[in-house]
Amino acid sequence: MRNGTLAAFITRNVSIRWYVPVAFVVLGVLLYFFPNDTVKDALGYRGFLLSFLYFSFYWIALASSWNMLTGYAGYFSFGHGAFYGIGAFTAAILITRSGWPYLLTLPIAGLAASLFGLFVGFVVFRMRQLRGELFGLLTLAVSFVVASIAANSDAIDGGQGQNVRPSQLATPEFLGSFSEMMFRVGVVVALATIFASYLIYRSRLGRGLFAIQDDEMVAEGLGVPTFRYKMMAFGLSTFFAGVVGGMHVPQIGFVTVESVFGLNVPLLVILMSLLGGRRHWMGPVIGAFVINTLDTALQRSGGLDAFGLALSGTFINELVIGLLLIVMILFVPGGLYERLERRIIPAFVVGALVAALQGIFVGGRITQQFMVIELFVIALLLIPEKYYAPIGGRFELHLGEKHTRNIPVETT
Amino acid sequence: MAQAIASGILTGGLYGIIAIGITLNWGMMRVINLAHFSFSFLAAYFTYQITVDTGIDPFLTLFVTIPLFFIFGVALQWFFETFEIEDFMSLLVTFGMFLIFESIMRERWTADFRTLSSTEVAYKTEALRVLGLSLTVTRLAVFLVAIAISLGIWIFLNRTYAGKALRAISQDRAIASAYGVNHRQMALLLGGIAGASAAIAGAFIAVIFVLRPDGATDLIGFIFAVVILGGLGNTAGAFMAGIFIGVVQNVTGFTSLGPGFAPLITFLVLIFGLLLRPEGLFTGIDTWLAKMLSGRQT
Amino acid sequence: MKFSRRVLFFVLIVSIAVLGIVPVSAQDGECDEPITVGGSLSLTGFLAPTAIIHEITGRAYVDFLNENGGLLGCPVEWIVLDDESSPDLSASLYEQLITEDEVDLLMGPYGTGNITAAMNVAARHQMVFPQHTASLTYVYDYEWQFPSWFIGLNTHITTPRIIFDAVTSVEDPPETIAFVVNQFPGTQNLAFGNDVLEPGGAVLIAEEEYGMEVVVNVEFPTGTTDFGPIAQQIADADPDFLWVGAIGVDANNLLEALDALDYRPRGHFYLWPAPGPLLALGDLSDGAMSVTLFEPFEPFLSNHQADIMVERFTAAAEEAGIPFTVAETQAAASWSAWQVLTAGVEGAGSLDQEAIANWLLTHPVETVTGTLEFNPDENNYGEDLTKIKQIQDGQWVVVWPPEYATEGFEVVYPVR
Repeated sequence: MRNGTLAAFITRNVSIRWYVPVAFVVLGVLLYFFPNDTVKDALGYRGFLLSFLYFSFYWIALASSWNMLTGYAGYFSFGHGAFYGIGAFTAAILITRSGWPYLLTLPIAGLAASLFGLFVGFVVFRMRQLRGELFGLLTLAVSFVVASIAANSDAIDGGQGQNVRPSQLATPEFLGSFSEMMFRVGVVVALATIFASYLIYRSRLGRGLFAIQDDEMVAEGLGVPTFRYKMMAFGLSTFFAGVVGGMHVPQIGFVTVESVFGLNVPLLVILMSLLGGRRHWMGPVIGAFVINTLDTALQRSGGLDAFGLALSGTFINELVIGLLLIVMILFVPGGLYERLERRIIPAFVVGALVAALQGIFVGGRITQQFMVIELFVIALLLIPEKYYAPIGGRFELHLGEKHTRNIPVETT
Repeated sequence: MAQAIASGILTGGLYGIIAIGITLNWGMMRVINLAHFSFSFLAAYFTYQITVDTGIDPFLTLFVTIPLFFIFGVALQWFFETFEIEDFMSLLVTFGMFLIFESIMRERWTADFRTLSSTEVAYKTEALRVLGLSLTVTRLAVFLVAIAISLGIWIFLNRTYAGKALRAISQDRAIASAYGVNHRQMALLLGGIAGASAAIAGAFIAVIFVLRPDGATDLIGFIFAVVILGGLGNTAGAFMAGIFIGVVQNVTGFTSLGPGFAPLITFLVLIFGLLLRPEGLFTGIDTWLAKMLSGRQT
Repeated sequence: MKFSRRVLFFVLIVSIAVLGIVPVSAQDGECDEPITVGGSLSLTGFLAPTAIIHEITGRAYVDFLNENGGLLGCPVEWIVLDDESSPDLSASLYEQLITEDEVDLLMGPYGTGNITAAMNVAARHQMVFPQHTASLTYVYDYEWQFPSWFIGLNTHITTPRIIFDAVTSVEDPPETIAFVVNQFPGTQNLAFGNDVLEPGGAVLIAEEEYGMEVVVNVEFPTGTTDFGPIAQQIADADPDFLWVGAIGVDANNLLEALDALDYRPRGHFYLWPAPGPLLALGDLSDGAMSVTLFEPFEPFLSNHQADIMVERFTAAAEEAGIPFTVAETQAAASWSAWQVLTAGVEGAGSLDQEAIANWLLTHPVETVTGTLEFNPDENNYGEDLTKIKQIQDGQWVVVWPPEYATEGFEVVYPVR
């Protein structure tokens, strides 16, 4: 598509404010320079912060990509791991067997995943019965099939795995050392995914998807091209999943069927999107950041040895994540973002206070500091509305109109 | 090949037993209960532990585990009822429970492989010879018990007042309660039955399989395939589908493809099943059973 | 006015991030603080049953080291994290150990997948990487990785030869062979070779060099619990020799499945079985063969520190309450990896990674598994030190090569 028509297409179908793309670009530029030595010395952080933030970007991009179909259209996919894995293996094979430079493999990884996604969508989205749980199980079955093919095919894995060594990446010098390079690639991929998710949210496509989520029959009656919209959302969702899979290859290093097709990816992205709230583009971003922090921090917590119980860090980690999931679904089904939007000032105050107190009195690992801050803010957000409203209501910001997703669907 | 089919039929019985609990909850109460897998494995660990500690026969532990897991099942169902957890929400909530149970099992029994060896269960590798086929007694038992359970539950649902009431609820809750069916009580009963079936499955898992805290994860895919192919809420269908999947797996493992291809074939079957007959492949067994058992279906 | 809200949100995130960052004073290199060695092990997950041996051995070694003056006169602290048997997590833990904990030295994790993933991290940060149990020899071209599982670069050729030499040393050697191999990188390499080095693998070598006929060749995925169909294939083919390229308790499950068919193999070999459980099968596993680098008998006990390791490991294992407390291959591989690290640091006289690596590349190291000479042309592997052990009279004994055989024992074939 020529530039003129693309711009025309976007202005016609997408309604966004000018400052949002600007904000994305500014944020991208700021983050790009974050790993520079001068910045690093000025802030005095350890190299691990880059790696931790890279993982945050990675999960944010993955959760956002999943949310493009599931959050907006309500089609729960349990098969996101398949598309992520296809991306990872595509990139790994191109690097190890064909000697491609790492960065060039990313779009191919995305396209490969997307092609397969569109194929699955083409078959499945035509079947009206395959909604809800059945769609979820079908996508799960698809991911098992893909994993099984990969495990049994010598051309892909054949049980031997693909080892991508740092020396094979051939990334340009200016991206810096390995962790700086991964951080920068992570920034770009994550911001691109979030921006795409934002564009869909603000576009006619997004409104159509939300109509499908609310009632597919009604949406169809109103003239929403449901099949085409679902295909577009799934195509984009799987494309970004594939790109993220490809992006993560150097970080995994040793790509095996178990490491990329496991249930870990689909389960965590679901958890992240639900925690943050899947009806808004910011939801998965928040959810992914929080879960990644908890995971990383609790991993290193060394467990609990008190009250006659000796509990390992891994145990507490899983326990907290499991409980969080149950509590969120039962009490805050809309996710954290919804509440955060309305309690932004108290959340900011609590967060800053806890951060400052920790800085002064506690110190310690950066991930654990993040975790404590987040847990305090989440605790504030979990206070039920009826107890919160009398006190916290005073601090509500009434700056903009509330943008719920009940915008009427434009008919074509 | 005949041997592979025979072993497949027997193994399929275990899939059937586990799937029955899932399909009951899903079909009748619209609860997709992932915690059922955890219950089955928890029961297996209980069986293992009691057997190792006391030296009694693993199947005698059923006197403890069946009542215990009946109560667990009722408690879980009470939780679902109280918080009105259904459909997709139930999948996510029970997924949280699944994670918690897995971490509890790992914390208590460690990630070590646990297995009841032939010293604890003398008949573990005993086999009967029938027409040149070798049928392991434990698997034969699984198969027979699976028949008994699925038939029993089928008769319960179709021939008893409580069962009919349950089916009425699953079809239309409002009308059923208008006719005086106590929905809550019935739901708790159903939860209890599902829990008890997990205890039975657990005993067999402990005897036949190697126990790992994350062992349940491997089964989820297969059991869901069984549930879907059998038709939701259809215990007889689940039994048949269990056998079907068992045979598909064993025969694939026996051919030159090897067991590596078993998941591939199984899930391809599931995908085509879903695409062609989303209501299930083995739903016909239901009407057939009704005809067989004197034909007066109510 | 949505703008202000967005801005506020952005400010919130940024300020939390900035406030959360607390500058931590850099540690100085003197001996005020202990020398830290970082690493992960699979304390949970499917590798945990064997990884615990490496944890016990590592702790026993570090205690032993500290009792004898530590490293360069400083006490040593081992930070060991749980990688949950996931290579992915292992890699990110090594990243964390290097960039956040800023450990002085590294020790490899357990298991081929984890080691391969962690080695990439070590390579990125140019850290010396001693490792004990990786088996994809042909992949490890990182010049500062030092293996102690000394099986030679061409293990897919040399190890099968040692095994087949052993079983064909008898009067009536096997003529047919069945392969059962799981889909795991190391076992695949040994059975089928790889596409990097010369063709090899046990299947090819059995056929071409030993004239055996391959009657069954079946692969199965890791995590398989039902071995019925495979057992049936073996029983139907009735091979003279059975090669099981599997890990952990797969061997037990297969033997029990064979027993259910009333079938006993005439000769059987298991690549990396869990030694305790296999022994516990009693009669069923009689005559089972496997590879080893160390068993607590002469002549191994004459190796450097071997007696100390056996004594300390057994004591620690009993205290930890693990079921199998015999110090054998796994414990020895771990102990010798620590010996390599110690020798490198003491030899270099500093914690400088390049100095340590250069010392190790130019000096042989005496370990419990023998003398290790790292050959940079062969990915720092050297000679294949594999020996063959067999279950006889209810215990593991070494039977091949003859000069290492436990006194009074030799290869037994056929078993029945």
